[in-house]
Amino acid sequence: MAQVRLTDVAKVYDGKVRAVEDFSLTIDHGEFVVFVGPSGCGKSTTLRMIAGLEEITEGTIEIDGKVVNDVHPKNRDIAMVFQNYALYPHMSVFKNMAFGLTLRKLPREEIQQRVGEAAQMLGIDDLLHRKPKALSGGQRQRVALGRAIVREPKVFLFDEPLSNLDAKLRVTTRTEIKKLHQRLKTTTIYVTHDQEEAMTLGDRIVVMSAGRGVGRVEQVDTPLNVYRYPVNRFVGAFLGRTPMNFLPGRIERADSRLWFTRPGGLRLLMPEAYEEKLHPYVNQEVNLGFRPSALAEHPFPKYSEAGYTLPVHTVLIEPLGKNIDVSCRMQDGADILARIDARDDFPVNADITFYLDMDHVHVFEPGGFGINIIHADREAIAPAQPQHAAAGA
Amino acid sequence: MPAPAKPTSASVFARTALFIALVLIGITFVVPFVWQVLISLSTRTEVDLLTRLGFPPSLQPENYARVFTGGGVEDGGQLAQRVDFARYFFNSFFVAGWVTLLQVITSAMAAYAFSRVRWPGRDKVFLLYLGTMMIPGVVLMVPNFVIILGLGMFDNYTGLVIPAAFSAFGTFLLRQFMLTIPSSLDEAASIDGAGHWRIFTEVILPLARPGLIVLAIFTFLGNYNSFFWPLIITQSPNMRTLPIGLMAFDSSYGRETPLIMAASLMAMIPPIILFLFLQKYLVKGIQLGAVKG
Amino acid sequence: MIGKGRKRLLIAMAFLLPNLLGFLLFTAGPVLFSLYMSFTDWALAKHNRASGLMPSFVGFENYERVLVGDESRLFWNYFGNTLYLMIGIPIGIAGSLLLALMLNGNPGPSTRRSRIRTSTLAGTITLVTCIGAWALTTPGAPPEPGTAANVTLSTEQGLTMLREWDVQRARSNFAILCVATLGFLVTCGLAFGTVFFRTIFYLPSLLAGVAMFLLWKTIYRPEGGLLNAGVGPVLSAVQATVVGTPSWLWYVLGLLLVLAAAAVSLRLITVGITRMIYKEAGLTSFLGRVCIVISLLAAAVGIGWATVQMPERSLFPTDWKALDAADLAEIRSELLAEFPHADPASLDIIIDQLSGDPAERDDAVITGTRPLGEAELLEVRRAIFGAHPRATAQILTAALARTDADASRIGEIVFARSERVHRGYTWGHNIIVDGATLAGLKPPAWLQDARWAKPALVIMGIWLVVGGANMLLYLAGLSNIPPELYEAAAIDGATGWQRFIHVTWPQLAPTTFFIVIMATIGGLQGGFEQVMIMTAGKYDTVVLAYYQYQVAFEDRFELGLASAIAWVMCAMIFVMTAINFRVGSQMTNE
Repeated sequence: MAQVRLTDVAKVYDGKVRAVEDFSLTIDHGEFVVFVGPSGCGKSTTLRMIAGLEEITEGTIEIDGKVVNDVHPKNRDIAMVFQNYALYPHMSVFKNMAFGLTLRKLPREEIQQRVGEAAQMLGIDDLLHRKPKALSGGQRQRVALGRAIVREPKVFLFDEPLSNLDAKLRVTTRTEIKKLHQRLKTTTIYVTHDQEEAMTLGDRIVVMSAGRGVGRVEQVDTPLNVYRYPVNRFVGAFLGRTPMNFLPGRIERADSRLWFTRPGGLRLLMPEAYEEKLHPYVNQEVNLGFRPSALAEHPFPKYSEAGYTLPVHTVLIEPLGKNIDVSCRMQDGADILARIDARDDFPVNADITFYLDMDHVHVFEPGGFGINIIHADREAIAPAQPQHAAAGA
Repeated sequence: MPAPAKPTSASVFARTALFIALVLIGITFVVPFVWQVLISLSTRTEVDLLTRLGFPPSLQPENYARVFTGGGVEDGGQLAQRVDFARYFFNSFFVAGWVTLLQVITSAMAAYAFSRVRWPGRDKVFLLYLGTMMIPGVVLMVPNFVIILGLGMFDNYTGLVIPAAFSAFGTFLLRQFMLTIPSSLDEAASIDGAGHWRIFTEVILPLARPGLIVLAIFTFLGNYNSFFWPLIITQSPNMRTLPIGLMAFDSSYGRETPLIMAASLMAMIPPIILFLFLQKYLVKGIQLGAVKG
Repeated sequence: MIGKGRKRLLIAMAFLLPNLLGFLLFTAGPVLFSLYMSFTDWALAKHNRASGLMPSFVGFENYERVLVGDESRLFWNYFGNTLYLMIGIPIGIAGSLLLALMLNGNPGPSTRRSRIRTSTLAGTITLVTCIGAWALTTPGAPPEPGTAANVTLSTEQGLTMLREWDVQRARSNFAILCVATLGFLVTCGLAFGTVFFRTIFYLPSLLAGVAMFLLWKTIYRPEGGLLNAGVGPVLSAVQATVVGTPSWLWYVLGLLLVLAAAAVSLRLITVGITRMIYKEAGLTSFLGRVCIVISLLAAAVGIGWATVQMPERSLFPTDWKALDAADLAEIRSELLAEFPHADPASLDIIIDQLSGDPAERDDAVITGTRPLGEAELLEVRRAIFGAHPRATAQILTAALARTDADASRIGEIVFARSERVHRGYTWGHNIIVDGATLAGLKPPAWLQDARWAKPALVIMGIWLVVGGANMLLYLAGLSNIPPELYEAAAIDGATGWQRFIHVTWPQLAPTTFFIVIMATIGGLQGGFEQVMIMTAGKYDTVVLAYYQYQVAFEDRFELGLASAIAWVMCAMIFVMTAINFRVGSQMTNE
């Protein structure tokens, strides 16, 4: 168990290409942190810098209080699970798991014992004599996990370990990794591009982006907080299984209230609680963002006034079981998606009215990384778990 | 070999016709060797009868022994002295063996440096290697001859072995091979606590084994058959390798056709054995060599 | 990557150094050294340790000598020879492709079970036939000594007397051998299919080397060689046919050939023009068509002309020019120079034998206009050798030669005088035989005939490489073609040939491109071993590589000049590769 601290870490390739910038984060003892973001956002690069596989161009990385910038990977007391598992094809499963221990000159009995225990824990004890080629994808994955476990490292590093598995196996292995972490309580850093994996696994997740020409951290928080209160439009769009709806428009003052208006005539009343924050944006362009599940056929008790309605024309429905996804077109031509409770007689190709849950509506500044005007300073109001001191961008 | 693609499921008739055609073509490939065996079993005077009789009237398996002893050849004593086939065989194996060993080792190490270590100037040096591969071998013969003379390696084993022990092509081939080994493997090994030498010997070399075998086969066959270089760099009969020895035999005892055929047949056997056992690697290697373009 | 830059450089050097040193000393260094040498007059005879002289810088003199100066006649002649031998390259590549296509077509039985069944059956049949042939044709116990009927066979080396029993047994063994060989091919082919044939086809290129060239040297022997044993009867048949058909038929045949070629050319050109008009293809593709048409027409006219000539002139000349007095004097002095210990009187006998019209020589009495049968020839030989026991070859050997090598050298000297002097002159016995068969078509003397030596090398070269690396590359290329392409083409209604033209050939274009480039590079600097072993540079077979060897290492030791030759070759290779690249990349892009 160890604490990992990154301070102003940056990676520059060939003196020009900046892959990661201003990465600061403290990962606590036993914490499970997930780096998530689209490809090219520098999440793997950061992980590899922690592992010692990439040189750190700027900043420092500490493990257990000791700066490891110039420490060889083997001396950092970490273990890593690679995307392609990186099992030595010419060695048996046992040898694969024991290789690192052998190099560290552990006594033979201890190696056997550790490998045996890990194999049993992962349910691969009857595969120990096989070569990786004779294993299924899931089994290889377990061997790669086992190889990390036997080393009993201070930190586990996972580099997209599930991306080579099929969808079903991915879900079960995900659960197993989480269980494993609960059992071993080893500090874990996990890299993935899959937001669902990030949400389910992490104690905290670090959302990264590549949008501004360099990989950088956008938000660090618990999964639910990141989901509920994205700090900017990028995070809002990136997390969540269905895309967030965004409507460009203006904030206007009328009848002593603030309204979100669109040229086509749409007017949405802004809740009074938001007014203070929206005040500087009167008569300015903004983006209204809300998830499809923030729409409903019936009024929300808190927001039942007429200003919270959204008249649309339904185009297409996609039944999902408990819910249905409704693709709609608004009168001004914008397309939005709604997720509502399923019912058989939902009218397609009809004009209906949806109600918006204004608690889950965000107002972003314009642009792909426009900040969330309402929740940008949420850290102050959101109940963060005390040991997860927020850090970073 | 991967399963051949099936354009269409050919009819039984087409497949049979194809098979017959292949057998007929196969005959033209086999008959010269059969002919070689027959001649090698004939007496010298009966060689000319072979085309008429189709088979030697009397078989002379002892021809194979006479290649080594010279017995029965006109001026046989002199032959045994001047054409020492046992020595030629030894020389060929000795030289080809050493060249193979050294070339595989040096190439593998260099390939590791080119594929696994990132160092300043790497790509430029590698480009230099690639560039010389484009230069035809004829250019190198004369200067190398002078260099060997200057180093005092003329007419001895070092002159035969050392210049051939380093190969840009071998380095290139193994580099290509090593590039196919995922870099996460040596990263994993590095985290597991392995240094460069250990990664090289315990991870990369075992995984590059097919490549090493391919290079070893190519090098061995190439040097076993090598003609030009031994021809210009050796002088004394006891430094001759097999190809040079065969040529010397032919030019001094040209009428001993059966012995020449027996000797050349024996010279062909090691490559055949090598091929039959390592066919898989050789075929792969040739197809890999195309990456060169 | 692990470690800091400086440290990584040290690590890399530790791994690289052995190779790098060797590379610099024996590859990179020599390249520069060779370039330097090519601008000097370095000759080992002059500039060596003993003389202490240093070579001096001569600028472009060596290049000038090679390209336009005193060496240029040889150089360009040898360049021509090299190009001639490279004719085999396109033929070989086409052959490789054909073999690869055949191997790719899944020959023989398709299931494992039928493989086992058919091959077992074939093996059994082979075995039974062999045993049967042995039982039926092998003669019984050898006859008592002295009671056997004898058969006399003539060979290049004299007459051989054999018991009839021996002849019978040899023929019986031959029959068994034929059955066994065929049976082996069929059985293994059925059992192992493509892999077996691939192995068989690959063997020649695997074994290409001195041993293989020595084998082909015996195959090419004019008499007693395997090839002529096959070619001879074919030629006789051809001759019989030609003589037996009216000459107008050959005119018509030749004309038809040319007309057919013209029709095909017209079609090719019109399609090309149409495509240009509709902008389906560019100018390069059209020029390619023009090239094909030109070569097609040239070939057709050539073959057509030969066809028309068939009745009047046989393909292989049956006459030869008698040596004139100057030739004879030159031969005599050359022989004397080569063999100073020779008895001049014997020499005169040889020269006498060489002179004049063969019909006037005493042994030529039996030279008829009609080819003699083998039995008649034997009769004639017996008669002649009865009267003249010391016929030409014996005289030659006894007078001059101490070894067989000497004897053959004599033959070469005489022969080099005029390529049309029949080599029979040098081998006494054969004068008679050759004289007698003169009226008929003779199979070529291959390696001992300046007209046939190069074709012989080409034929051997094709045989060697056709199943080699190129075939394997094509096989790999074929297996990489996605089957869906064929399926799509089949659905589109493409026939077998169209599938080849529209799917296989374009998909193989990168492979072909690579093969052509490598073959051209190899072809321009190749051929040394073949020429050295098989003809020793005689009969106009010297190629550039052999020429460079001669200049550098055989007699002359002119290292500067040899280096210049190497660099000229290098430049030629470069130019040819550049052309290939241009044409090839256009082809692969199309």
